[in-house]
Amino acid sequence: MSSGLLLVLMGGLFLLLGYMGVPVAFAIIAGVLAATAFTPISFQSMVGQLFHGIDSETLLAVPFFLLVGELMSSADVTHRMIRLAQTLVGHLRGGLAQVVTLFSMFFAGISGSSAADVAVLSRTVAPEMDKERYDRAFTAALIASASTMANLIPPSIMAVVYGATGNVSIGGLFLGGVVPGVLIGVGLMIYSYFFGPVGTMKKRARLVDIFVAARGSALPMVIPVIIMGGILTGWFTPTEAGMAAAAYILLVLIPVLNPRHVRRLPGDFMYTGLLYSLPLAAVAGASAFGWMLAYLRGPDTVAEYISYYAGTDPRMIMLLLVALFVILGDFIDAIPAIIIFMPIINKLTQVGRINPVHMGVVIITTLVFGLITPPYGLSLLIASKFVGVPFYRAMLRSFPLYIVFFATIAFTVLFPDVVLWLPKQLLPQSVGCFPNPNGTGWICPR
Amino acid sequence: MTAVTDFAASRALILQRHRHLKWKRLDPLEAGLMVLCGVCIGGFTLCVFLDVVTRTIGHPWLWLQQATTAFFAWGVFIGIAAATRRNDHIYLAEITRRMTGTKRWAIETFNRLVVLIVAGFMAWFGYKNAMLDLGSFRMPWLIPLTVYTGVVPISGVVVMLFSVEQIVKGWQNGFEGPEDDELLPEPVE
Repeated sequence: MSSGLLLVLMGGLFLLLGYMGVPVAFAIIAGVLAATAFTPISFQSMVGQLFHGIDSETLLAVPFFLLVGELMSSADVTHRMIRLAQTLVGHLRGGLAQVVTLFSMFFAGISGSSAADVAVLSRTVAPEMDKERYDRAFTAALIASASTMANLIPPSIMAVVYGATGNVSIGGLFLGGVVPGVLIGVGLMIYSYFFGPVGTMKKRARLVDIFVAARGSALPMVIPVIIMGGILTGWFTPTEAGMAAAAYILLVLIPVLNPRHVRRLPGDFMYTGLLYSLPLAAVAGASAFGWMLAYLRGPDTVAEYISYYAGTDPRMIMLLLVALFVILGDFIDAIPAIIIFMPIINKLTQVGRINPVHMGVVIITTLVFGLITPPYGLSLLIASKFVGVPFYRAMLRSFPLYIVFFATIAFTVLFPDVVLWLPKQLLPQSVGCFPNPNGTGWICPR
Repeated sequence: MTAVTDFAASRALILQRHRHLKWKRLDPLEAGLMVLCGVCIGGFTLCVFLDVVTRTIGHPWLWLQQATTAFFAWGVFIGIAAATRRNDHIYLAEITRRMTGTKRWAIETFNRLVVLIVAGFMAWFGYKNAMLDLGSFRMPWLIPLTVYTGVVPISGVVVMLFSVEQIVKGWQNGFEGPEDDELLPEPVE
């Protein structure tokens, strides 16, 4: 059987089984095993690839960032940050909608998981929005859209997986994700201000109230400093930074802010232990898929196809990849999509001479959009369930918010200097800069 | 309130969702796997913590990195097995939830047979890999690679067991359950 047919068989079987209801990890592995049967590769080595796919020290960061999100969410210490967001933006038009977005920006700096963000907001702010007669469909759409920032503003689980599989600096991806993350946040706030429900207008908080709220949320807000400070100073790897944040929550935050939660910690650990295996099961399957894809020369085929239309123009290459990933993100979970298509991304990064960190930020920004698009918009699905509104209604209310994501993706593609500004300033090596031999600053590739 | 209840229920040691697809006798196995999930993540959190501490004080314990990766890998594959019984895996779609009767029976059975076959491959070829890995060692303590890869066939066997349980119970009680309307996109009216 030709390579092309095997690629179709492998990809087609994965999608067919996946949409019939087979768990993603097993659907991917089934596709790979079916293709393996027509190649000289042994089943034994493909099953071995499942283990090797997750045998990476960098991927250890994934459970830590999940643990941080789950501990914060389960210990219920996030209400202090919500209070701070309320004092800062609660008086604006659509006050609670603004609070949702601002809190998500805060929480994104702590957790790398959109699902944890959705869970926190659905349990805390959503009931308040209900009381103020916000349309539940809008509430669900906004919470889901805002939660996507968790995968852009550092720490980000997608960035960890992208960096680990693509051999790209995770610190660089973290810093590069700040601009699109903030753009999405600001975009959602502008939309809520002009086009969202009015809500109950409240008085502007006094400075003393803001001070009290800031003092109350000071302890949780130390977490982003631990994570990014540790990585930027070179004290910690991303994995160790995640561990340090988890240790800080366990040893300081929970004993001080919610000591009664200590007896529930074993439950949190067991649940997070289960939770982290889910994306990593998909990673294991997807790495075998990616391996087989490379064996069948899939990256070369797709890269040649895209190069045929885009030549070596980096912007055209990225726009075509964005189009591909917008479609893929609608149907496939982001983590397996990153791993399966990493060989293709790497190939096109070389063809277009694109900065790998810039390419990573563009791909991740595109994939987070898939969290709110049908039929597989996971964040929107969870938010609509928690808020108690039919999925299709939340989906309709999320359509206007797509403009924020399209604008952010376009900005990220077209303005690499802005996206890479922060990594260049704080972690120049991550974007290929090297120290100037005469000892004055850094020399960076254009 | 519902969200809060769901939040607590999803953390239960033995999940009561899809009860009609579970044998009571396998409940201790699910509970044991959940405890192991907690032990694994707790274990590698402690290992990374001690790794940083011992490195900082200038006396690094090199074996901690090996223990960390072992806990991590075991956690992933134990979690895969636990998630199979709890139906917690990531799904692209759950089209069967809206189905009833023979159609539902056929597709649910087919899906579990796919999982059963894949788990069978994991068990058999994973076992062969693990045996082969007895001759490969990880530096610096020369621990056989089987200590790490041995979890793949174990996970495969447990997933097979849970798949058989769900097929048999599904044939006895039907696959439909009260949780079918959870997290389900409503049809467009």
